[in-house]
Amino acid sequence: MAAIKELSKSLVQPLLAVVIGLLTGALVIAAVGESILGTYQEMWKGAFGSFYFFTSTLARATPIMLIALGLSLAFRAGVFNLGAEGQMVLGAVSAALVSIYLPAPGMIKIVAGMFAGMAVGGFWALLPGFMEARFRIPLLISTLLFNYIAVLFASYLVTEPFRDRTGSAALAQTVMLEKSAWLPKLFAGMSVHAGFLFAIVAALLLFWVLRFTPFGYEVKMLGQNSLFAQYGGINRIRVMLTGMFASGGLAGLAGTVEVMGAHYRFVDGALTVPGFAWTGLMAALLANSHPLGIIVTSILLAAFQTGAMGVERNTDVPLELASVIQAVLILFISAKFSYDWWKKRKAKGGESHGAL
Amino acid sequence: MELFDWSLLSSTIRMVTPILLAALGGALCARVGIFNVGLEGLVLVGAFSAIVGNHFTGNLFLAVLIAALVSVVFSLLFAYMTIKLRANEIVVGVAINFLALGLTTFALRAIFGVKGAFYDKDMAGLPTVEIPFIHDIPVIGGIVSGHSPLVYFAFLAAILLYVFFYRTVTGFRVLAVGLNPVAARSLGLKVTGLQVLAIVMSGALCGIAGAQLSLGQVTMFTEGMTAGRGFIALVAMMMGQSHPLGILASSFLFGLMDALSIRLQGFSLPTQFTAMLPYVLTIVAMFFLKNKSQIGSDNQQSTR
Repeated sequence: MAAIKELSKSLVQPLLAVVIGLLTGALVIAAVGESILGTYQEMWKGAFGSFYFFTSTLARATPIMLIALGLSLAFRAGVFNLGAEGQMVLGAVSAALVSIYLPAPGMIKIVAGMFAGMAVGGFWALLPGFMEARFRIPLLISTLLFNYIAVLFASYLVTEPFRDRTGSAALAQTVMLEKSAWLPKLFAGMSVHAGFLFAIVAALLLFWVLRFTPFGYEVKMLGQNSLFAQYGGINRIRVMLTGMFASGGLAGLAGTVEVMGAHYRFVDGALTVPGFAWTGLMAALLANSHPLGIIVTSILLAAFQTGAMGVERNTDVPLELASVIQAVLILFISAKFSYDWWKKRKAKGGESHGAL
Repeated sequence: MELFDWSLLSSTIRMVTPILLAALGGALCARVGIFNVGLEGLVLVGAFSAIVGNHFTGNLFLAVLIAALVSVVFSLLFAYMTIKLRANEIVVGVAINFLALGLTTFALRAIFGVKGAFYDKDMAGLPTVEIPFIHDIPVIGGIVSGHSPLVYFAFLAAILLYVFFYRTVTGFRVLAVGLNPVAARSLGLKVTGLQVLAIVMSGALCGIAGAQLSLGQVTMFTEGMTAGRGFIALVAMMMGQSHPLGILASSFLFGLMDALSIRLQGFSLPTQFTAMLPYVLTIVAMFFLKNKSQIGSDNQQSTR
């Protein structure tokens, strides 16, 4: 019961932000000179209009959800991991290469590929974590810079040594995975694949870890009051590094399931152009890092994107409508901190002098 | 083609300008105790508005002014969220970056009807200034003279900021706010006002940095053309410890890397590796930052 209450409480503010986001979207649509209601109808149809569109939305939500779960774990421990993009891309390219070049039957290729994707993503996140712990290099900046390096390096791998030279070779990409190493689709002919189930399981697992395990307690203590946590004997660095590794591993898994369940190969830019990592960050912030809330928010954000594709197909409003709505959403979510603060201050009933 | 020659210095000076301007903006914010992650977005908005301003007014001076103004509007949003609503400045900064990327991409489609990049062959970029006497000195003339006015403005801004911080009363007050907002307030300083002032000034600097990026270097706008320069500026600011002259030195390092990575493309290295260079060296440079960084999260919490 308490869990449900907490969940609904953490969803009130996001819903308010969604309304404000949609209102801003309406302004933008009006500025382009289109019908607001008609555009939103198209958006709804594009996201949920038919079973096919609905499964496309779920397929798009899959990597977003996995990334958001990973980031939420880092946020909960009080560290900002802004490097999900690099972790995802490096994980994806490693998974692709392992499952293409490992001489083994399909099932083993799937398992090895997923393991490789998670491990590489995790270690790529661990590196800035280690740099923060050992050399006090701010994680916020280093994870960001690591994105550029990872994306460029993956791009190099598929334009030079591992490029598919069999086809027309117009795109920088690896050769296709064997059919036996593909993740199965959940419904025949629909785009949602087994990765979606992994994401749901990961959400439930993370919920359980955060709520019922000692590690989850340590993460929570550290995020809420790092000084007190250290006083209480929690090893800040160990928890931070574990959090970063798991966070990067989940981002790596996000890339892996995209490769093994959707594209069946690593295509340069296929993961960065849709902005999965940043949308994942938004989903985590929107859900206030609550694992079950993330299931809702990542499907919601994915729906904005698939919906916007429908809008672009059928009206003159550009696809980027979705990114504007999302940015406004996130801006208003960030004001939530103030909202909490305001409530606290009101509850105290006093006025603060001097200190901000 | 030579890797190192005098013209490398000239292109370094060109590349350093947007980083330097944004880093100075970041330093202003850091000095009042606000860590501005939104520099990237502010520069991007500036770059876009400069192109829009140039397209519709045809006047380069107005274009730069519009770039500065639009970025100031965005920085006011940042100020409102962080100071008035007391939102977490890192989250707001990240949100500003998203908003800038989304809105510029959207507006690119809505205003110019193109995707990816806008280029107009009739559009004039910023003119180059040839300094009368210096221009004729053999080597130095080629390096120092012949840049866009904004390049000179950037260096002037660094000096002006130095004077502002260490020679004016308002500057002293700004520094006091950064050192201890509670004490500053108890002295009767208008802490909030000074913070807003710093953020607005940083917005203007970022807008001009964007104008140099889109009008001074290439005369076009491409989606996300800042490509992390705002973040590099953050690192430059931290490395220079928010001191204008320190920032000048660290920005030069990054400008040199930027120029080198473009120069290296002439050699038969994979372009991915040359493009990586600024980011790798930024990380290497951060090893020398040690714990003098501006993000003292615990410290910051207690003063807010």
